[in-house]
Amino acid sequence: MNKQKQITLQTRIAERYARIVDNKDEFSRSINQPLKQSFRINSLKGDTEKILESLRKYDNSISPTNWYENGFTTNLDNLGSSIEHFSGQIYIQELTSMMPALSIADVNESKRIIDCCAAPGSKTTQLAEMMKNKGEIIANDNKHSRLKALRGNLDRLGIVNTTVTLRDFRSFPNTEADIYLVDAPCSSEGTIRKKNTIKRNLKEKDYERFSKIQKGILNRACEMAERGDQIVYSTCTFAPEENEHVVNSILEEHSVKLNNINIKNLKMGKGIKNWKDEKFDSEIEKCRRVWPHHNDTDGFFIARIEKC
Amino acid sequence: MLVLLKKEKKEMLIEYCVERFGISKVIFENYQLYEGSKNKIYLIKELLELRFIPESSGLCIFRFDKTPKPTTNFLQLFSADISKNVLDIGEKDLINYCKGNDLQVHSGSNKIEPGFIAIRYNNSIVGCAHWNKITVRNQLPKSRRCKINYY
Repeated sequence: MNKQKQITLQTRIAERYARIVDNKDEFSRSINQPLKQSFRINSLKGDTEKILESLRKYDNSISPTNWYENGFTTNLDNLGSSIEHFSGQIYIQELTSMMPALSIADVNESKRIIDCCAAPGSKTTQLAEMMKNKGEIIANDNKHSRLKALRGNLDRLGIVNTTVTLRDFRSFPNTEADIYLVDAPCSSEGTIRKKNTIKRNLKEKDYERFSKIQKGILNRACEMAERGDQIVYSTCTFAPEENEHVVNSILEEHSVKLNNINIKNLKMGKGIKNWKDEKFDSEIEKCRRVWPHHNDTDGFFIARIEKC
Repeated sequence: MLVLLKKEKKEMLIEYCVERFGISKVIFENYQLYEGSKNKIYLIKELLELRFIPESSGLCIFRFDKTPKPTTNFLQLFSADISKNVLDIGEKDLINYCKGNDLQVHSGSNKIEPGFIAIRYNNSIVGCAHWNKITVRNQLPKSRRCKINYY
């Protein structure tokens, strides 16, 4: 019964996006394949090579990615019960989830970053590591129940440069920052290879509901940002209603521009120009779509916005 | 609400780290120490002034009751800087320790002084314990206890 439901869901997704994907057969095949577990090494808790050496004592299936030196995959599906995970030397994280932090051009120790929807802290802890535990991060989430996981991960990974806040970001008080990361709540269709928790019978109105929330959060980040500040918007869904449409509305309402995104050795597709009856600004092509069949990952969407 | 740790208390804490664990004073130079509720001491890069009270800031590194008690998170973070009062354990003890169990009296226990100690496995500090010359009492918080399958 479950298998039947899964096939239906995957077929629905394959059909819905057949028109916008570059290779619909490959796309359809890839979303039916299980995804390997992936993890990130936390160099704040030790030397990367030593941690890898320790992991390889019991796991010889570890493979590096060719686009991020700290990103790895493994055939083991339970690295969460490893001593390296316990001691915060690794963080189990989807490969696509590692991409937004890498898309920011100049993450360094002097920056202040606001992670607007931070829990459970995958991207916050990655940014903290990239900043060598220096600079300033504000990790915000609007659900108290999710802060426990966020706080737990920050503690386990030894993060000291982060302040945790509990607010709906749409009503977050004005706060200066250099970079705003909006990894917005979404329909999560892109995680179909990994999770069976995504809603099976998404309706058109569900996309609209998420889109409204996403616009609200991204709009607030754009309001707060000052000239030159960066806003990175990401989702783990294929739905243009939650991706290009949201970014397009921000282009119409704010004095912002889109910047190119380049992650070396990572294959990414362009943002689409139109969807159904809606035609988007030509700049939208600077957004990036990560299709599952391109790099053997989940599906993902990233836009890098700069306040003008 | 966090308040900057008083100078005397800060000096006492740093002195404890130096004496007890051999941690160099230098590592504290880049951080600020704040005191929160329940006598908890936080290591913070820089305390942000926001328009509302945040849920938490930095990393809780000590609880300061009659004597300072280091947290597992603190000992893990400064693993490479800890040189004194360290108990090296093997695989069997590691599994027991991570489950939250106390450890049997250990052959290496004659090198450690009574009080809080760091537990080390494979050259990495995994957490905190208390040695009273009889038992190595587990100090791992309940939220961190787990079954370790890969080591």
